[in-house]
Amino acid sequence: MPSAMNSFGATPNLATFLKASKNNSIESGIELLVSLLQRRQVRNSRQSALATAHLLLRVIGQERVRDVQVLIKRVRSVGRRLISAQPREMAVGNIVRRVLGIIREVAEEASAEPESEVASPSSGGMRELHRPALNSTISSFSPLHQSSALPASFHSRFGSGDSSNDSTPLIQSFSDLSLVEQQQQRPALAAAHAGSLFGLFQQPGSARNTPPVTGTSTPIPSTPTKGKVALNTSTSETIDLKSEILSSIRELLDELDVVDSQIAESALDHIHSGEVILTNTSSQTVQRFLTAAARKRKFTVVVAETWPNDHQATHSTIVNGSRPNDGTGEPDEPFKPLTALGTTVIMIPDSAVFALMSRINKVILAPHTVLADGSLLAASGSSTIALAARAHRVPVVVLSGIYKLSPVYPFDTAELIEWGDPSKVIDYADGELVDSLTVSNPIFDHVGADLIDLYITNLGGHAPSYLYRIVADHYRPEDVDLMSKA
Amino acid sequence: MADTPNGANGNVPEKKAEPAPAKSVGDDGLTPAEKKKRAKEEKQARRAAEKAGAGTSTAPVTNGVEASNGAVQPVGESSSQAAQQQQPAQVPRAQPRRPVEQAAAPTSTQHGRNPSTATQPPPPRRRNSQSVLPAVPKPASKPPKPKESKDVPLFSHLYAAQPRPTLLTTPKDIHPAIQALGFQYSTYAICGSTARTAAMLLAFKAAIADYTTPTGTSLARHMTTHFLSPQIEFLKACRPISESMGNGIRFLKKAVVEIDPSVDEGEAKAYLRDSIDMFLRERIVVTDRAIATAAVKQIKQNAVVLTYAKSSLVEKTLVEAHEAGTQFKVICVDSRPLYEGRNLARTLGRRGIEVEYTPLSGIAHAMKDATLVLLGARSMLSNGRLVSRVGTASIALHASHADVPVIVLCESVKFTGKVALDSVVLNEIAPPEELLLPDTTPTTTEGEGEGEKVKTLADWRDIPGLQILNLMYDVTPAEYIRMVICEYGSLPPSSVPVVHRLANEGV
Repeated sequence: MPSAMNSFGATPNLATFLKASKNNSIESGIELLVSLLQRRQVRNSRQSALATAHLLLRVIGQERVRDVQVLIKRVRSVGRRLISAQPREMAVGNIVRRVLGIIREVAEEASAEPESEVASPSSGGMRELHRPALNSTISSFSPLHQSSALPASFHSRFGSGDSSNDSTPLIQSFSDLSLVEQQQQRPALAAAHAGSLFGLFQQPGSARNTPPVTGTSTPIPSTPTKGKVALNTSTSETIDLKSEILSSIRELLDELDVVDSQIAESALDHIHSGEVILTNTSSQTVQRFLTAAARKRKFTVVVAETWPNDHQATHSTIVNGSRPNDGTGEPDEPFKPLTALGTTVIMIPDSAVFALMSRINKVILAPHTVLADGSLLAASGSSTIALAARAHRVPVVVLSGIYKLSPVYPFDTAELIEWGDPSKVIDYADGELVDSLTVSNPIFDHVGADLIDLYITNLGGHAPSYLYRIVADHYRPEDVDLMSKA
Repeated sequence: MADTPNGANGNVPEKKAEPAPAKSVGDDGLTPAEKKKRAKEEKQARRAAEKAGAGTSTAPVTNGVEASNGAVQPVGESSSQAAQQQQPAQVPRAQPRRPVEQAAAPTSTQHGRNPSTATQPPPPRRRNSQSVLPAVPKPASKPPKPKESKDVPLFSHLYAAQPRPTLLTTPKDIHPAIQALGFQYSTYAICGSTARTAAMLLAFKAAIADYTTPTGTSLARHMTTHFLSPQIEFLKACRPISESMGNGIRFLKKAVVEIDPSVDEGEAKAYLRDSIDMFLRERIVVTDRAIATAAVKQIKQNAVVLTYAKSSLVEKTLVEAHEAGTQFKVICVDSRPLYEGRNLARTLGRRGIEVEYTPLSGIAHAMKDATLVLLGARSMLSNGRLVSRVGTASIALHASHADVPVIVLCESVKFTGKVALDSVVLNEIAPPEELLLPDTTPTTTEGEGEGEKVKTLADWRDIPGLQILNLMYDVTPAEYIRMVICEYGSLPPSSVPVVHRLANEGV
């Protein structure tokens, strides 16, 4: 389809997808994004996040939102396809989970409104449907688990189930006990802050310690309940739901746009004059951050060129500043190279990092993904920098938008490493070496949480130990496991 | 009063060149035309002064200085003043008509001036030194702004004072073998401390063979200072020498100096030749064999040996272990810009050893598989630290983080009495151009009108504030090194000064 191709037949990328998505059907849009992800033509976190958000916007826009559960299922199934296309691109999963969280939140608010004056403990508990707990344990290892240590009231689950049918928030919890607890706390609070102690006083659960007997409570079918809600309110409520959800997703898209400038706003709080800062890769987030500080302060930046995967882009960023916005998802305002703002920039090969570390004041890294325990996946070479910084007691600062923060807990970090093109290391033309060697070229490094001193996100600065709270604020525990078909 | 304006006029272009103070002669020497001209200039100056009077006080001074470079037709004294202003030693002659603040003129030549006494009615003359010409901004004849230094300030002590010698700039007393060697150094055709030392001593053998003692001196006295030293300086200019080279040179000089003057030249040269051979054999060839044999014992069956760049000793060890029949795998780690690891991988691959090749960025992953790290050295310092190719410290760091033993293979000729705590004080800086990618070319200046020219890193010299640093070595802390194997045995890094005293102090 002509509109799907760049006019010069260049490699399709994010711009292609965004253009094509205006014309094509949803299904072909999904297919297109899946193939772009599989072929790594939509590459880094930001592009993946943008593409996913756009796609989900279209998906939801096309759905007739009668039943939030169905909508959630639909989004989950689309999300599953996207994630399986490129499991290591965690930003895709993050956005899917954010959208699911948005849907749930909007639905809660909508159903909480008629109830707001009746926010009683007993009604608080009842609403959710529950199914027999699954054996899946993945969600139970999510840090969301620890974040909401609220007492639950289980008594209400069994007792007054019928009375609050008309105020069911249509939330399902699939997995186990404590997550169900969390659900019970959410409803009455429109803000739906998990972990708020407000609920502590609302629900003096005497039966909190009583585990629910699985399977004994009858699942409340959603449709009639929803029908009841629909009866109670007008159909305009369902339309409002959809437009609420869509506008929240648009806010999410806006957030993706301003992430870099929000992070850069705090630059002057972290960089003083005369500093020597070490960084690597051509990350535009880091460059914007440094540029924001360079306008007011004079300091020196040492850039490690990150061979073999990013060195050309790093050279170009050092010399030219911002990448041209060719639909790669970069925000529109270009920025000058640091040298044009009077900053001294010293370029070094990656091998010289340890040699110079004793003269460095601060290390700034940009990750590919931040994992729930505070560790991160960053461009290869970052673990050397972080270890050397630890050896010399140099603080390590990581700049990352919230969209990069994943609720997934890494069991096997080696699984998350992506491998790159070996011909960047040794050209295929060198036949003798091609025959006799194995060439490996990892693209990412895993950097443990103990090596990081500070995270700067678009919400401000946090210690690595605080990330779990941010995860809890943005994602719902039942969304952590997207792969189970439920 | 004033001197001869004409005379001063004629001298104005060489304002600085006037040796004798131009004395003021009376005004009366002026022709009417000149008077008219002068009056006109006065008027202009007055207007300019009024304008400039709102500005800083120094402005008129500056303007006066600059204006004086042009044709001067001041009232009387000012021409002399103009001529004199470049001669700071001049006694101030006439007083300025207008009291001017003593604020120092930008040019210090004004300092001697005495801007007192408003004895006369204030015309727009500011100071003795100024002319009354209006403030014409002088076209910049100040010296061109010095080109920004592209040396990284932290390492400015390491940059070579002179550029590397070329074929045309080689001094003429350099022996051709040494000259060839120097260029092999600077192009990294011969790279690696051991190789450089051996090549240097062999080149000296050739040079000594062609040497003849001039009449009147003895070989012992003449050769060191007049023959060897220029050769050594040339080699240093091509590339700074390493510790083992320094030890070799010291050994050679000692051998030369100890030659009995009564020995005839042929015999002396034979003796020197044999000494060099003995040194090479004892301290490099046989030593290498001994170290390799000892190190082979460290490679167990099914080991995964990780090494960095290309060390001749590590290569010998791995080849010997392979020939002894041990099954093992090698991970070669490599870095820009020298890609030495590639050469090692090639050599090992040819011998049928299983080799994995990875860039330095993949070290974290490679270290998970490694069971042993073997490193070569440029030198071992007396505080137990290792000086080796830049990047070695990162390898050792990851190894100690992953609990993989690090063994350094190092001949005693590389041990030194020096100590270092960082990689900044003692190091070598290579030309930054080596870091540029081969396919980038500097953007040409043609076609600049087409808007934004996308620059490449090859234009780095034109970009102010951008520096490229190409370090050659780094210092690995002793705590990351498990063991050092030299010909005297296997020792912990803290024993290096002991062995150094044993092996090298006698040299």
